[in-house]
Amino acid sequence: MMTYLELTDISKNFGNVVAVKDFNLSIKKGQLVSFLGPSGCGKTTTLRMIGGFEIPDSGTILLADEDISKIPPNRRGIGMVFQSYALFPNMTILENVMFGLKMQHKPKKEMTSIAEKVLDLVRLQNTAKRYPHQLSGGQQQRIALARALAIQPRVLLLDEPLSALDAEVRVALRGEIRRIQSDLGITTVYVTHDQEEALSISDMVVVMNNGLVEQIGTPQEIYRKPDTRFVATFIGTANEFHGIVTDSENVKAGNLVIKTSGLHNFSIGSEVVALVRPENVEVFDQKPTDSMVNVVEGDVDTITFHGAITRLGINAGGKMITADVTITGRNILSYHQHVWLSFNPEYCKVMAEK
Amino acid sequence: MMGSLKKSKPSSGQIFIVGIFIFYMILPIIATYIFSIATRWDRTILPEGYSLEGYMEATTNPYFFITLKNSLVLSVASVLVSLFVVVPTVYWVHVKLHSAKPLLDLLMILPFGIPGVVLALALVQVYNFQPISRSPLLLTAATVVFTMPFMYRSVSNNLAAVDIPTLTEAAQSLGANTFNVLWRVIIPNIFPGILSGSLLVFATVFAEFTLARLIVGAGFKTFPMLLVEYTRKDGTIAAGMSVISFTIAWIVSLLILWASGKGIKVSRESIGAR
Repeated sequence: MMTYLELTDISKNFGNVVAVKDFNLSIKKGQLVSFLGPSGCGKTTTLRMIGGFEIPDSGTILLADEDISKIPPNRRGIGMVFQSYALFPNMTILENVMFGLKMQHKPKKEMTSIAEKVLDLVRLQNTAKRYPHQLSGGQQQRIALARALAIQPRVLLLDEPLSALDAEVRVALRGEIRRIQSDLGITTVYVTHDQEEALSISDMVVVMNNGLVEQIGTPQEIYRKPDTRFVATFIGTANEFHGIVTDSENVKAGNLVIKTSGLHNFSIGSEVVALVRPENVEVFDQKPTDSMVNVVEGDVDTITFHGAITRLGINAGGKMITADVTITGRNILSYHQHVWLSFNPEYCKVMAEK
Repeated sequence: MMGSLKKSKPSSGQIFIVGIFIFYMILPIIATYIFSIATRWDRTILPEGYSLEGYMEATTNPYFFITLKNSLVLSVASVLVSLFVVVPTVYWVHVKLHSAKPLLDLLMILPFGIPGVVLALALVQVYNFQPISRSPLLLTAATVVFTMPFMYRSVSNNLAAVDIPTLTEAAQSLGANTFNVLWRVIIPNIFPGILSGSLLVFATVFAEFTLARLIVGAGFKTFPMLLVEYTRKDGTIAAGMSVISFTIAWIVSLLILWASGKGIKVSRESIGAR
């Protein structure tokens, strides 16, 4: 499929502060792309440049082959949903939803039918006559989504739409956003600082830090094959082993020797960090067979129950290692229990220390 | 927000304090009303007799309607100028030029600090050329400056209570141009502030004496000037005119409140919900 929204070499500074630098991205029609990163990483600024609320210092934004970089926001045909809902308090829900259509001078009949359709889409048909303050936060945000969808935008922008809501509503609403988005096939850019949110609803994730793109990829790629140390540690949890490459497949980290399969890019003696995800650490209550590699001994220090998994903090000679296990009746662990850990060399991702 | 405080019976101490306050506020008004219809009221607790002669005489004075008209024109003009100067300024400062807000806040205290006499004399000195010199135009400019803090504070507080920048962007993303943003989104949401500012400006200018007396003098006689003249001649007529002045201020206030009843209700609810 062809590129629909394309950002080329976008940069933006606020005074001396670099907000976004050399941002490049192509989005295909109908995709949902998330911008993910800590606060101040430039994700919202980039979104606002697509929406027309900030003008890039350099670079171009092409939408369906048209350069929209300098078109004012009200003529871009791009819908936006804000963190604070931003419903018009002086208007009823119906008037809110019809606002964009009124601006397009649509006939009354058409406005009403579109409004009914989008309210139906967000499952809030019965709120039409109410005022925004009479609705809960989650309902208000669904109305804000309906209002943005009513104008049939070319692109839908969502700026941390779920941040102001509580956990349960957040999970339900993100599923709903994804459902509506894929039903309508609407090209969507979604800004969030919540990695779980980004991974769960996106076709593609753009991880940003300090105004720069760290990695662009599918949620699976971002999680399984992080390009940079920032991505590896920002997305999910990772155990870090800082050490030195001793030969083609071993890293010496303190008194541990870690076998890994990803050392072909490193010369002997280079400083590296080996990263292992907690779910890739296996835990044994008895010494495993000698054929196992990367075996570490330690004592259980913390046990945190998370429902489906239990997260263990294991003290391995002063080094804390996190492991996620599914505890069944067979292997109940207790505090201070002596255990053996092991991880497959394939799941050990090595990156340069600096 | 609404009705969340449990109502309990006020204590006798609270009733006493509120009673004293109401008495303090209302007594002069009641006294003025009674005095305006009293024949003689210096030897007895209550007046010796009642008549409407004060009102008859006040309204038959040829200056009565002229000064009333002048004061109304001055008040309405001040409100309009204030609306067109202050409201857009405060809006832009809130939305685009946030760094200017402390300066504006400071400037808006100045009119309280400068006595009317000083302001009037300074303006007369500086604008001592035709056609502005001692004209009603200069007086309007002065009353606008003098009452600017009322409009500024009301509108500014209201703007601060509503997330104007985000509402503006939401409206823009839905295709609204600047006019529609202002007319359909911003103004309805800051309407209570605009309204209370207008009422304060109107009432203050309508009762303003110092600036009018010193800037235009007899050339453009206002209602308070006529009233002051009468206080030197006949207290009963002056009291009658005071009553008329109160009544006009109240009628205008009620008219504005009534005319915009719906707007206020909605906006109040929306602000209350925050």
